[in-house]
Amino acid sequence: MHNVSQQIGDHSDAKALPMRPANQVMQLNRLGSLHQSRISFMRTLVRRMVAENWQISSPVFDLDDQGYGTVVYQIDAKYGTFSYVLFSHYLDPERRNDRVIADQWDLTMALCEGTVDTKQLDFLRNNVPKQEAGRVDSRVLVLSRANRSARLFDYVVNELAQGSQPEVDMIADVGYLYRTTAAYGSGKLGMADWEKVWTKHRDFARPFAAEMFTCYMLRHFSMQQADYLASQRSPTKAVALHEDIKRYIGIGNSTGLGMAPFLINHPLLINQWIEMRETALATAVAASESGIDQDTLLRFDVSIQRVIQHLNEIFTADERQSRANIKVGEELQVLHAWLNEQGAVLVENHYVWASLTQYAEQHWLTETQEVINTLLIELYPELVDGLEENMWVEESYQVTPEMSVAELLEVIEEKYDWALAIDFSKYESMGAFWYRSQEKMEPRLGQTNVDMGMEKEMPLGIGRRVRECYDRIYVYNQTSPNQDVAHFVVQNPTYSGIVARIQTMAQSQYGDIRENLVHTDVLPIHLLRCKLSFFGVSKFDPRSRLWVRNTMFQGAPLISDFGKVFADDWQFPIKPNVISE
Amino acid sequence: MKVSKNELLASLKKAFEALGFQPGDYYDAADMVVWLETHGFYGFDRLLAALTYLNTTVPVHADLVQEDAHNFVLDGKGTSVLLCGSEAVDLIRSQVMKGSCAGLELINCYNRTFIVQRLIKAAQRNLAFIAYWRQQDYCVKVSVKPGTHLPEYQTFTMLDVVDPQSLRIFCGKSLDAIEEQYVAELEFGDLLDTFSEAEMADSYRNSLEEGIEIDESLWKTLDSLVARVLVQSTDSSRAGAGD
Repeated sequence: MHNVSQQIGDHSDAKALPMRPANQVMQLNRLGSLHQSRISFMRTLVRRMVAENWQISSPVFDLDDQGYGTVVYQIDAKYGTFSYVLFSHYLDPERRNDRVIADQWDLTMALCEGTVDTKQLDFLRNNVPKQEAGRVDSRVLVLSRANRSARLFDYVVNELAQGSQPEVDMIADVGYLYRTTAAYGSGKLGMADWEKVWTKHRDFARPFAAEMFTCYMLRHFSMQQADYLASQRSPTKAVALHEDIKRYIGIGNSTGLGMAPFLINHPLLINQWIEMRETALATAVAASESGIDQDTLLRFDVSIQRVIQHLNEIFTADERQSRANIKVGEELQVLHAWLNEQGAVLVENHYVWASLTQYAEQHWLTETQEVINTLLIELYPELVDGLEENMWVEESYQVTPEMSVAELLEVIEEKYDWALAIDFSKYESMGAFWYRSQEKMEPRLGQTNVDMGMEKEMPLGIGRRVRECYDRIYVYNQTSPNQDVAHFVVQNPTYSGIVARIQTMAQSQYGDIRENLVHTDVLPIHLLRCKLSFFGVSKFDPRSRLWVRNTMFQGAPLISDFGKVFADDWQFPIKPNVISE
Repeated sequence: MKVSKNELLASLKKAFEALGFQPGDYYDAADMVVWLETHGFYGFDRLLAALTYLNTTVPVHADLVQEDAHNFVLDGKGTSVLLCGSEAVDLIRSQVMKGSCAGLELINCYNRTFIVQRLIKAAQRNLAFIAYWRQQDYCVKVSVKPGTHLPEYQTFTMLDVVDPQSLRIFCGKSLDAIEEQYVAELEFGDLLDTFSEAEMADSYRNSLEEGIEIDESLWKTLDSLVARVLVQSTDSSRAGAGD
């Protein structure tokens, strides 16, 4: 411990930390260790709703005594009015399936612009429950569905009906009453295009804001329905769910491979997200340049203890994640002890956070490093929250035709050194392939020369495509020195796509994910977690290397909290201390 | 029926992929179709005409058959601009980025109106374009100023005999510079019609607000093409999705 203190506390050569380099940040393993941050989409949405005091009413709340029926919530946000239309159906438990290929759900929902009249409600009733098998129109921003956690939902309703609150430990085991299995937006199934959303609806003019809001409203309904059913069952005896327990209830989510191609096919957008997060981190680290005050130090220590408790309260059957959670907890305990031991000295020192992050990089797990980074960002809301406005970029991939092929070779050697370092002559380097299934076009991962569909492979193996392109250009440059890229593309038109990607991404700071995504042992789960961290989920529970369960909005404020003073510290949720009344 | 722009783009990309287009080509081709349709240029009708050809042959790209310091000739070998339009624009762009104006003739090609989207995209890099081609017994002229998102689209009577399947493109730092350098090549007859920027903008706004009207049979045609890139589902493949 003393040794640790000496090393972290030694600031003699510390200086302002620059942005971390791409070869560190864009490693898949690190991206798969990220946690939500202040600029994650759920966090920014909640801040906006609370600060702007969005008004939410339910002009239609037509449920039968089993909780089935129709509910319409009206949302009066700062700039516009929206309707959240929800249909609650009986679902045979045998048919409850969280996979994309399911065709029936407990709940189906649509977020619409404006108010909804009877005619539109009938239209939605005929289409929303069908999800992918139905069609909606451009008045709809998001389409979603959810399945009940039968175990927890029934337990909670029973307890409330009997006049008592559910055990928090039971809530902690599951974390939600419903889990969403999809939230579609961006024009799918006839819905409004993202371009319409961001140009017309300022309330949702940030990436995935409307989709996240749909999940937030599902959380609200899930608790309202539980209260409603308990009161239906025992009108005189039932109690409402305690507000602290409500805040601790989130929405479950299962995410599979459907999310993975997005990160590969939108590298400019992913670059933007990463760059903003790295800017937030660099800003936080630089904020300790002239020392840190006692209050900041105390808040940091409190947040570390909170994460330790959060990790202790997570159960995951995944051995790798379970071991990581334990190890992260242990390393954070070391940090907690060091803060207590060195606190008085630290406030006097310069660049404490730079020294801390450097120490963590040298000694602790990547997961621990990223927890610390997230917590550092939390300390400086006034410096980093403004970055939330820069999370979108218009994507355009274009060839730079006047560039010489010799220069393009240099660009690849510099920016895609990671791709050139992969030995694609090894079988395992091309041991997997991505394809779309006939079942709802679900992306799947196949085994080379084993599974069907290689001839229909999706072009997600960016490293391999870069390698092939490089080899082709190299030969071309031998025979046609001093030629430009335009001539190369005319003579080799099948490479135009990868050339445009290389030349476009070379101008960005972080660019492509540095991993061979067609390797036999590729871990797509890291891709999923990266994107989910930007959504703002918590409690990652990998179910295999291909899909992960997690919890959305657990710990977040309730609608009844809107307009009130708000600490915005609901990340890493922990069990509430609820005193029985 | 109505579809969204994103939905249409996604479907078209996969449909062109099914027709053998490579990554890059199918992105560009989808963009070209959607741009024309959403801006009121009957992109779907032109797509149907293109599919008749594309559905019966492997993708063919243009060959560079002639070039000097300022001019190129590409032979499209009967292919669609959906396949060779990007290469043509990139080629002429490369020349202008290095010097002054340049001209390109794309011979033996079809579906030439699709070139408008490529010109608009390229114009965002501060370049101007003028393109023209013969359409039946009149001539179409498209002018794009640097940085603009809508072209000037005019039709004229023909002064000279213009090859019925060729497309001429001129590029420079400004429209004035192009007009000055290629004054002889840019002489047209009487102005017949103009498709105003306001009409294009209205069409686009409406597409975004209300969705894009598409004939159900065309949507089904696209669906059947998309089905070609999908892989049959089996118990084994479900395991590859996390089962």
